[in-house]
Amino acid sequence: MESLSDIHWDVVISGTGLQQSLLALALSRSGKKILHIDSNDFYGGTEASLGLQDAASWVSRIEAGGGGGLLKSAAIWRPEDSTGLAASRQYYLALAPQVVHARSRLLEQLVSSRAYRQVEFLAVGSSYVFKPASEPTQPAALVRIPSTREEVFSTTAVSTKEKRLLMKFLKFVLDHDSSPQQETWHPYAEKPLSALLSEAFNMGEELQKLIYTLTLSLNPGINTKDGLAVIRRHISSMGVYGPGFAAIYPKWGGLSEIAQVSCRACAVGGGVYMLGTGIQSTEVVEGGVKLELTSGDAIRTRLLVRASEDAASGMPVIRRLVAVTNSSFDSLFEPAVEGAPRPAVAIIAYPAGSLSTAAGKASEHPVYLSAHSSETGECPAGQSVLYLTTNASPDAQELLGRALDAFLDAAKPSAQQEVRVLTKLEYEQGSGGSSVLITQGPILTFQATTPSIAFSDSVLDPIRSAWKKILGDEAVDDEYLTFSDREGAADDDDDVYEQ
Amino acid sequence: MADSAPKPSSSVKLVLLGEAAVGKSSLVLRFVSNDFQENKEPTIGAAFLTQKCNLPTRTIKFEIWDTAGQERFASLAPMYYRNAQAALVVYDLTKPTSLIKAKHWVAELQRQASPGIVIALVGNKLDLTNDGAAGGGAAGAGACDDDDAAAAAGEDAAGDARKITTEEAKEYADEEGLLFFETSAKTGYNVTEVFTAIANAIPETSLKTNRGPGAAHGARHEQPGIDLGRQDDGASRDNCAC
Repeated sequence: MESLSDIHWDVVISGTGLQQSLLALALSRSGKKILHIDSNDFYGGTEASLGLQDAASWVSRIEAGGGGGLLKSAAIWRPEDSTGLAASRQYYLALAPQVVHARSRLLEQLVSSRAYRQVEFLAVGSSYVFKPASEPTQPAALVRIPSTREEVFSTTAVSTKEKRLLMKFLKFVLDHDSSPQQETWHPYAEKPLSALLSEAFNMGEELQKLIYTLTLSLNPGINTKDGLAVIRRHISSMGVYGPGFAAIYPKWGGLSEIAQVSCRACAVGGGVYMLGTGIQSTEVVEGGVKLELTSGDAIRTRLLVRASEDAASGMPVIRRLVAVTNSSFDSLFEPAVEGAPRPAVAIIAYPAGSLSTAAGKASEHPVYLSAHSSETGECPAGQSVLYLTTNASPDAQELLGRALDAFLDAAKPSAQQEVRVLTKLEYEQGSGGSSVLITQGPILTFQATTPSIAFSDSVLDPIRSAWKKILGDEAVDDEYLTFSDREGAADDDDDVYEQ
Repeated sequence: MADSAPKPSSSVKLVLLGEAAVGKSSLVLRFVSNDFQENKEPTIGAAFLTQKCNLPTRTIKFEIWDTAGQERFASLAPMYYRNAQAALVVYDLTKPTSLIKAKHWVAELQRQASPGIVIALVGNKLDLTNDGAAGGGAAGAGACDDDDAAAAAGEDAAGDARKITTEEAKEYADEEGLLFFETSAKTGYNVTEVFTAIANAIPETSLKTNRGPGAAHGARHEQPGIDLGRQDDGASRDNCAC
């Protein structure tokens, strides 16, 4: 068998995060000689999903500085008495629990590349706004956000007058690129969305909170231009893949599953995979790069693709808290409309100001909680995994803890049931400056992506750039990530059922 | 869905593991296409195939990941057995080292794969032994789509190349709680039985129901699976807020 160094590789891809893996998928039918390595002993990089034991060793590696500059302050907590927790491998804690909107280009690409056949997609259900307790009779509550016409009509969360404002706004958003609508919002384009809502739509604070939540933005001051674009993405995604939901979530750990399926496709195409192998040194030479791998192998490649492990300074750092609970919170996962698939994910937003620290300081940033049912495969039946995210700040850790407690209290199925947290994982994650691919001779570098609540298509652009660089003249734009089913892999369900 | 109500259909992700040249791809080829190729080229990387198996009460659609036994860095297998419901660990019953390798795979699956994974240990190349295609091996219950295997002819005369006794492998399989079969991909002996036995051994509770036509548009709204292949632009207009 020829050794690694006997092969002159066309491309070495370092890291199996989402971007590198989608690149591997894009190259899976190119006939190029591809070596795909990862210094971790698992797939997915910062988009991995981890069992409990994997999560514990991941935390110790980050403590030892093994997460590059992107991940820090990681900790895992397990109670002394670990009753209630199942075996480590029954959990797939997602480091990237992003939901994907139906209109995302990622889904188009998964369909055109046929990779979607290996992924199970689940519906993301309703979003809720956390309403803090108001003195003293009104306990804290989760208010469902109406985002379809049906829901706006049936909701009891807003008054009739507010319903009219909401309908007017939702219509406006869908049409916001037409010229009469542009006249309305252009003066506000760079101003906070809240300015448009209060001045042009006369909305009160409560209604603004509902609408702000549709942006799923971690930035409390998101501007009107960006805010309208993401709300439009949400509304226009509604119903695309079935009634009653706008976004989907890949089973078994979200984007981690997409990364793995992409790597598998590349392996089927002949790509060689090595885990637990990083790059020791790189040297640009005539016609490519000489690499020394941590396995001791010295290899040559025409191109090297890697991801930056440095957070850009001044870019947002997020803080996450992942909690496994002993309750399935069934009522959160009710289908929004008749005939809708049962959702596996529900998102709860805590607008800025709705939480406060023990010292009485109000939250300055929104907090989001994504509740995942056991349908996601991320925990055993009867449990749930809660992913909380906010911008990092000195108070962020405390506020996430408060948000978790408030959720457990407000969503508790009954007063009798004791809802417990079985284990917790927390960490901070930095982000990169832009999504542009960095090219330095034969070395292509993906910049760190910005972690978000909903997947952003900007992650996809540098992958296409890298694909074009690698294929050069052979790249045909229309054929990017467009493949037919491999022999034997077609879905023949219809043949069985239709006759 | 024209005449009778369709049986429930479920997908089962199955991964094949084992040393190079024990006949993993040939077992799949026999199961999926009822075909056999002498001197088959080694699998590069991995291959993906699907095949249905009809049980009395339901249809199982196997999503089969066939991995390269020559895979140098053992880095591929983890992404195939991740959330797999079944594994077929294959050895060549004429080659003792292949059983050692198979035991390594079983240990790795028990350590790393989903806790409920159904593992079948399969000794292949029974056609090279005196048992030919007639005796030996456990018989599976039920039958899949394929015809029964034809008996091998002529191979017996070449002598018995068996190096691993049925008893030895069976004892190991029993200790580890594995399904156990001896097969011949060449003659087809016991091949469909392996898959049928696996299909029967998957606990009903761990079966995901398919996003088939019956499920996607059926009466039960609890089906969680979304089929991206069935995008409906008409529906989007009915449901969006405009």
